[in-house]
Amino acid sequence: MDRAEILKTLKSPAKWGQKYSLWAVYFCTGCGVVEIPPVITSRWDAERFGVLPMATPRQANLFLITGYVSVKTLGAIIRTYDQMPNPKYVVGFGSCPVNGGMYWDSYNTIKHLDKYLPVDGWIAGCMPRPEAIFVAVVHLWQMIDKGIATGYERYKDNYEYYQTNQRAILPHLAKFAGAEAAPGRNS
Amino acid sequence: MSEDDLKKAIERGVEAAAATVQKKGRLVVTVPKTAAVSALIALRARGFEHLSAISCTDWLEEGQFELVYHLWSYSDKIHVMLKTRLPRENPQIVTASPVFPHAQTYEREIHEMYGVRFEGNPRLTPLLLDHWQGPPPMRRDFDTRQYVQDTFGSTPPVGE
Repeated sequence: MDRAEILKTLKSPAKWGQKYSLWAVYFCTGCGVVEIPPVITSRWDAERFGVLPMATPRQANLFLITGYVSVKTLGAIIRTYDQMPNPKYVVGFGSCPVNGGMYWDSYNTIKHLDKYLPVDGWIAGCMPRPEAIFVAVVHLWQMIDKGIATGYERYKDNYEYYQTNQRAILPHLAKFAGAEAAPGRNS
Repeated sequence: MSEDDLKKAIERGVEAAAATVQKKGRLVVTVPKTAAVSALIALRARGFEHLSAISCTDWLEEGQFELVYHLWSYSDKIHVMLKTRLPRENPQIVTASPVFPHAQTYEREIHEMYGVRFEGNPRLTPLLLDHWQGPPPMRRDFDTRQYVQDTFGSTPPVGE
């Protein structure tokens, strides 16, 4: 760590801690997940960046939406996201979560992920290379440093908006109990 | 059994069946919808024990759905395509699930995607779609882009 970093770390140790312990939910939504095994194994080794996959959402704070999101999967994604503890970060991986990608006129695939969940960053491409994940992780570090990776707070503040959009296509989805909880506990 | 023998046997054994040998190892059999299940039973008795798939085609201009049962015989190495047509209005046919139990899943999918009713299939519940509200989506008169526009919001303009 260089000397200028020390002051920054002392000022907000929580951010420093969050930055280097990104645990990604091991949730495969679409074809983009083929890029994840090389990323987390020895070829690219995401552990260098502090990113490790986690099997359960309750112990994870990074959610990579890998590939197209069908309506059925969206329900599972929302349930998973609601279970993750704050602070949590969502990264859309590939073209399909951005605007539908090649499924732009498909009847069963959502087109804009940010209508249903707050998204902190996007990785464009079909498929993005594994290196793109590391670029995204470094961007996410910078955003955490600057305090602008606040998707989980936006979710809480604009829950009505997200909920309306979610229920419009998934009317049976259970209401998230944490929506009325106290506002952000860390800055 | 050769393809020609099979063609003769089917045309003799199943009422109103028309068979053509498309090429070596492939036979196309056309039957009216009332004879579809009896044709399946007859074929199964002749060693066609593998139903690989049931597919459905929407012939919008002719006002008909076409169901194709793909059957394979391991002993004769012959692929039979059993075709039958149903009217597009209120499409109904008797289920093939007593003859081939796994046909239930194929029929479930066709029921969901095309709205064909399979009489006697005990499980015509949704398979792939989640709380689907619109018309069956694989029908050709289903306007996908309009549905996407209404359900998911904006789609980019497309030059064709």
